[in-house]
Amino acid sequence: MMKERLERLREELLGELKGVKNEAELLTIKKKYFGRKGPLASLIKELAKLPPSERRSTGEAINKVKKEIEDKIDALLSEYHQRAKQERLNKERIDVTLPGRRLPRGTLHPITQVLGEIEDIFLSLGFEIAEGPEVELDYYNFTALNIPPEHPARDMQDTFYIDKEILLRTHTSPVQIRVMEKQSPPLRVIAPGAVYRRDSDLTHTPMFHQVEGFMVDRAVSFADLKGVLTYFLRNLFGEKTAIRFRPSFFPFTEPSAEVDIECVMCGGKGCRVCKESGWLEVLGCGMIHPEVFRAVRYNPEEFTGFAFGLGIERITMLLYGIDDIRLFFENDIRFLSQF
Amino acid sequence: MLYSINWLKEYVDIEISPEELSERLTMAGLEVEECRKAEPSVKGVVTAEILKIEKHPNADRLTLCKVRSTGGEYSIVCGARNMKEGDKVALALPGARLPSGIAINKAKIRGIISEGMMCSEEELGLAQKSKGIMILPPDTPVGLDVAELLGLDDYVIDVAITPNRGDCLSIMGLAREIGAVTGSPFREISISVKEGAKDVGDYITVDLREPALCRRYTARVVEGVKVSDSPVWLKRRLELCGIRPINNVVDATNYVMLEMGQPLHAFDLEKLKGRTLVIRRAEKGETIKTIDGKERTLDEEMLLIADSEGPQAVAGVMGGEHSEVTEKTTTIVLESAWFEPSSVRKTSKKLSLSTDSSYRFERGVDIEAVGKALDRVAALVAELTGGKVAKGSIDIYPEKFTPCTISLKPERVERSIGIEVKKEEITEILRALSMRVEEKEGCLEVTPPSFRQDIKCEADLIEEVARLKGYDAIPLAMPVSTIKTRRPSPSFATRRKIASILTGQGFTEVINYSFISRQCFELCGDKDRPGVFIMNPLTEEQVVMRDMLLPSLIQNVQTNLTHKSSDLRLFECRAVFIPRDSGLPEEKWHVASVMYGGRMPAGWCQPEDGVDFYDAKGVVENLLRSLKVGGKISFERAEVSKMFHPGKSATIKVGDRECGIVGEIHPDVQEAFNLKKPVYGFELELETLVASIEKYPAFRQLPKFPESIRDVAFIVDENIPFAEIRDVVYNIDTKLIEKVELFDVYYGKGIPAGKRSLAIRITYRAQDRTLTFQEVEDIHSRVSKELERRFDATLRI
Repeated sequence: MMKERLERLREELLGELKGVKNEAELLTIKKKYFGRKGPLASLIKELAKLPPSERRSTGEAINKVKKEIEDKIDALLSEYHQRAKQERLNKERIDVTLPGRRLPRGTLHPITQVLGEIEDIFLSLGFEIAEGPEVELDYYNFTALNIPPEHPARDMQDTFYIDKEILLRTHTSPVQIRVMEKQSPPLRVIAPGAVYRRDSDLTHTPMFHQVEGFMVDRAVSFADLKGVLTYFLRNLFGEKTAIRFRPSFFPFTEPSAEVDIECVMCGGKGCRVCKESGWLEVLGCGMIHPEVFRAVRYNPEEFTGFAFGLGIERITMLLYGIDDIRLFFENDIRFLSQF
Repeated sequence: MLYSINWLKEYVDIEISPEELSERLTMAGLEVEECRKAEPSVKGVVTAEILKIEKHPNADRLTLCKVRSTGGEYSIVCGARNMKEGDKVALALPGARLPSGIAINKAKIRGIISEGMMCSEEELGLAQKSKGIMILPPDTPVGLDVAELLGLDDYVIDVAITPNRGDCLSIMGLAREIGAVTGSPFREISISVKEGAKDVGDYITVDLREPALCRRYTARVVEGVKVSDSPVWLKRRLELCGIRPINNVVDATNYVMLEMGQPLHAFDLEKLKGRTLVIRRAEKGETIKTIDGKERTLDEEMLLIADSEGPQAVAGVMGGEHSEVTEKTTTIVLESAWFEPSSVRKTSKKLSLSTDSSYRFERGVDIEAVGKALDRVAALVAELTGGKVAKGSIDIYPEKFTPCTISLKPERVERSIGIEVKKEEITEILRALSMRVEEKEGCLEVTPPSFRQDIKCEADLIEEVARLKGYDAIPLAMPVSTIKTRRPSPSFATRRKIASILTGQGFTEVINYSFISRQCFELCGDKDRPGVFIMNPLTEEQVVMRDMLLPSLIQNVQTNLTHKSSDLRLFECRAVFIPRDSGLPEEKWHVASVMYGGRMPAGWCQPEDGVDFYDAKGVVENLLRSLKVGGKISFERAEVSKMFHPGKSATIKVGDRECGIVGEIHPDVQEAFNLKKPVYGFELELETLVASIEKYPAFRQLPKFPESIRDVAFIVDENIPFAEIRDVVYNIDTKLIEKVELFDVYYGKGIPAGKRSLAIRITYRAQDRTLTFQEVEDIHSRVSKELERRFDATLRI
């Protein structure tokens, strides 16, 4: 009896579900049949009246139908959701080429960036970083570096003076002396910083930046100098960069060398930047002069060392193809924001 | 210095191309900056054959020749008689150029057109004087370029001579070096002076009073000179080396200076009072008019060449106008001397007068060659001017040059350059450089020549060996060393971090010159405060080292505005300089920043508000937090700096130490820089910050129990700083009150004048339990009461 009613109810329900057109109708049907006063609920209530032998199987049958219908309704509901979402997705379209909402963007000065790279290369080689004063004593800037007063080598570096004894350092080399006065070998040090020369034209600014580097130990030779600087330059300019060391003169090193890299603009063929030579001078270096060791009371019989110095502006110009050194200090945001 | 290759070839054979020579010199430490073909002195002159010689129909002394060359046959009118038919000659065609500057054109000579000119050796610049035209060897082909055929083409190399190699500042010096580098022998020139009968001492006496500043003084006299133009060949050589010809006497002194490196001077003997030359120091205030026409005031440190009355030359620098050689000069005194380099340099610096002469003296000339150069110039002057050299020379040389001997241990070469060089090879290299080398007990005893004053110690010798062996011969090695490297200092590390934090917050880093203008300096503080001033600034914009960074940054804003950049966030992290009573100034690291214009970049969906004080303050707060600066950070309204708006600026304190200032830049400053909108900025001093950084602040447990949040709004006097209110509230129960946040500030409708409404949100939480409703109510009402009691607040909710 009840099973027949159940079967009728099932067919009636399935019939109604077939005619459903939207989510609202579906929810109405759900409420009508599954509500507390709906036909399924009354069937369950009637179970109690059945003899116990039938109760169990009838109950199971009711639940089975209930589950079947519920699943069907859920499937339909999820289909409606999917369809509605799809319709929304089909409608929602934005112009992705409109610019994004921007936060202010800041950049590091190209000099700081390149300095950082250079520092990192030398840190990786076990060098430590030292700093010294920019306003310096004549003694540290010149005399202790084997450049006595009235030496023509002072012409290489036109100097700003504060008074007779005090000047703006013309290179980072005085840091060499200051470090050696305080520490004993072995030493591996770089000293980055601003330096000043009384010179201002297309290719010179009165302030610029250098990195000084030096190493002192019992058996450091020119071959080590070549090895370290070649490693450094190839890290910065590329593994295949051709490099040459050519004799030169600095009062505080002997032998001294200037180091050229193959022109980054023309690849060594010769162009305006390298003055048709195919080479670009990037740094000066040499074995530390015994007189410098004597000035800091190192025994030149016991220790040898090398030192080098490079100009950061020049290297930065080569790396980025910048053709005017003055741009670095004009602080034009149109320039700075490119890096 | 510029060097003519043809001139160099007189002293050394050069069998490689000028380009290869340049490369070899560069790699030996004599950097060739330029190698170029010289503008030819002879152009458009070709070889030709004389076909026929006829008499000129209208002139007895002239002939009319038919000449054959590549372009066909030409009719040439000629004044010479030394040629015959069939001779090969040098024919200058119309358009040709000769060293004298004569341009050749078709011209009518005595009614007959001459289509060119047959040249003499003199006209080609090959000889000083010649008779007749130049006859070329009979087998010379016709139609060749004569300049090429006769090697008249020259190259000029520009070599950057380092300050230690004064000996290379001459043709002979570089030729010697080329010899050492290429292995070709160096040829000395022989000098002979034809002397007259009358002794030099009869003309002039020399009184050397400063033997320390002038270690050798030599002089000769040439009489009967005829001052005129120099011959073409000499002029050409001077010009190739960058010196302008003047007259034959001056040119001769310059020629020998270029050739031998010895600066020389010629005085007009007639103009020397007392017929004497005195080498003495100037008296204070003594003046001389130098040959450049300038009146110069001298001092006691300067060395002079004077006559019995006054200065005639600034020793080693420049001669005086009074005794200058002129067209009227007939008797000259030639000077060749050795002046103390540092003295010449000092004088030249003081007078701001650098000459070819002072440049060479500063770098040291060869004291042993002083006399040789004198003989050479005397002979040349006599030859060029037709004068006669007086007998003998004056040579005051009180303390003779003694060569030094340096020991070189061969193994030291390897220790320094990293490769073994055999004793024999070292010896060979040093001998090629004119050094005397003797072996003594395994050591090399080396005596450098008198012209190599730069060789003073073993390291100098090692450099010579390395240089000539070639740096390319030294292999690459990586050093092996004990590691005891320390990490970068906290200050250095903090600066790197600041740069990354501020760029992350949209600030662009600038780097300004450390020196600023007086005006800028006065703008940012008491204008009479001590500063680090530069004695010799380049411009007025760069006279004093900055003791604050902000003025430069404000200037940057101005510059960028002129480029139409409108929204700016800039920062700079550099040293500033504060004078001390004595010694070096104090250098402190600062970081400063400015903000100008919109808070956000302009754009279609961007808010358009401008920045204000609280933007700048927010950046400082974020920066200090990101740096993990420990201790209480507070901002107190300050009127301490001229730079800032007195009502909209604050000092920044960490604990009780002041470490910076933030605020709106004073409208006076804003106006001074012509800025339309206000600028906001801050400047922090890093030392205090670095010292306050807590690198590893202790971890705090995350809360285990829920919080309760209550708001309260109240009206108070607008002059009560919020920070004071916040502190009072927080201190009511520091255990249960976790946070006190301001979420609204309101002025206006419903709020009496002089008051403002503040709304704060308080977070209550206990660490060990969930607070009951009643507990929270109790504290919150205490907060309200305290606000009323302490600040006379009127509660709004």
